[in-house]
Amino acid sequence: MYNANGEDIFVIDGHVHLWDAREENITHRGGEQFIQCFYDYHNGFTPEDKQWDMDEYRYYGPERMAEDLFGNAAVDMAIFQPSYLSDFYDEGFNTIDQNAEIAEKYPERFINNGRFDPRDGEEGMRDLERQKEEYDIQAVKLYTAEWNGDSKGWRMDSDESFEFLQKCVDLGIETINAHKGPTIRPLNKDAFDVSDMDLAASSFPELDFVANHVGMPRLDDFCWIATQEPNVYGGIAVAAPMVTNRPEKFGEIMGELLYWLGEDKIMFGSDYALWNPDWLVEEVMNAEMTAQQKKEYGVELDIDTMKKVMGENAAELYDIDIEEKKKQFQDDAITEKFGLADHYGAPDAAAD
Amino acid sequence: MVGSSSDRAETTDSPPAATVPTRPDVRGCLDRVYDPELDRSIVELEYIDEIEIDAGEVTVEFTLPTAWCSPAFAWMMATDARDEIHSLPATESVTIRLQDHMHGEEITDGVNNRESFESVFPDADDGVSDVRAMLDDKARFARQYDAVQACLDAGLTPEQIVDLRRGDIDVADEGAIVSVRGIHVVVDREPLTDYLEKASASGLVTDQEDRLFLTIDGDPIPVDSFEILHKRTRLAGVNMGGQGAVCDALNQSRRAKLDKD
Repeated sequence: MYNANGEDIFVIDGHVHLWDAREENITHRGGEQFIQCFYDYHNGFTPEDKQWDMDEYRYYGPERMAEDLFGNAAVDMAIFQPSYLSDFYDEGFNTIDQNAEIAEKYPERFINNGRFDPRDGEEGMRDLERQKEEYDIQAVKLYTAEWNGDSKGWRMDSDESFEFLQKCVDLGIETINAHKGPTIRPLNKDAFDVSDMDLAASSFPELDFVANHVGMPRLDDFCWIATQEPNVYGGIAVAAPMVTNRPEKFGEIMGELLYWLGEDKIMFGSDYALWNPDWLVEEVMNAEMTAQQKKEYGVELDIDTMKKVMGENAAELYDIDIEEKKKQFQDDAITEKFGLADHYGAPDAAAD
Repeated sequence: MVGSSSDRAETTDSPPAATVPTRPDVRGCLDRVYDPELDRSIVELEYIDEIEIDAGEVTVEFTLPTAWCSPAFAWMMATDARDEIHSLPATESVTIRLQDHMHGEEITDGVNNRESFESVFPDADDGVSDVRAMLDDKARFARQYDAVQACLDAGLTPEQIVDLRRGDIDVADEGAIVSVRGIHVVVDREPLTDYLEKASASGLVTDQEDRLFLTIDGDPIPVDSFEILHKRTRLAGVNMGGQGAVCDALNQSRRAKLDKD
């Protein structure tokens, strides 16, 4: 938990990965370009003394991840948003099965999301069933700009996609996360498009939709859609780390999000290991809007707003009982490993 | 970036001025080439690596913030740079090179051989002109925010603002003079000229009778939508500025890495 002037804030990192971009896993030059581009994002928005070297960035493994999130950062729980990129990486970049290596080890701390790609047809349907059966997934993460053979992307409002969304409803998968942000090879104007989420969200009111990266570079289109659709949320990964070297832009973006979506529909995500919550959580918690921005937008990043953004909104979406979790974390494996009993107010913690 | 050491025009014997494009000429051309997504000059954004002038032959090399930047956007910048420099009377030939991009060779060859985007990228769904039109609309819409805000700050009402025509504006040195029912109001000049530049280029605001301010689709603004539309223009600008900050950070870290290699 993050302690803000004596008040505990339960932190759910809504966007993490356990990826493998080691050279032996790369099968297409796109795989190398992809990780290099990620590394530029990392360096571009990470304070100099917190930057990783390329080797650790390619692969950091489950133990390092647990330490970064729970040992060094104030993260209490984290949600995996898998990115397969199977055309670029032999075993995938971070699949549900790769993420399971740590998610299964600390199941109380992680939510392991699944995925589908409508271009996989019948085989994809069977795999979605397998993911539900094997991991009891509550949510999927979609990547519409992913390559798949000759195809360089797909749309959430296509007939094939709707069949998969209906399958999610049938299987009890309730939340659809979609990468709506920077894309790979945005050849067509549609590759940046967020409007496909509009029709999907209005056609499936029983599902909730989260636009990861709040649609950037189409923040304007995204906010407009989210204003119309009650079941559309925004994840602030990519926008969040702007807090360090572009604090004014961060304030503006948060101002717009709070103005259009409101404080109940915005969720924090580090996009680990793009950025490390060990510094990012604190930076975001310390962020303030300028006086001019407060006046312009009529909103503030006050403690109640930040509590929602940093954890409560994700808890609501994923049916997480925060008070119950705090009790559970008084003596779970992560707490034992990193000595966090006191942190969660374990009754005998003072005696430790 | 701009101002490299290999400017041959400066190292060869000075030829007659009118027959060779000068570095300031070429730079002036590139100043007018914009990143269509960010609505900012590619010189200001520090995309230019090298300008080489050899008699009438001009070569420009540029790098974008990522190897993945949209090929359509890259194409627009490369063709705009080519056409701007080509328009200089002293230019005999122009070569544009896009460096370190996943489609660098296709774009470089296609632009220099004057092929069409559609023939180089047959699997693109949309023509490059559609993409450009969409981005131009967004840039016009974003620039409208400051212009309308300037009118509000000068005391004009929403009713008056939505009803303004192109002919009601007269740009003078001391400010822009806006005529409303025979009364002249002085409005901050720069936001209006910035807006007019983009609005005129769109072809939507050219005749004296054309409405000055429009929806993103180019329609007149109903007065009861004024407030929300004004907020949407603000949002369009925040989006562009936010994305600009992302591209800028990527550009810096990429160049730091390329310099290291």
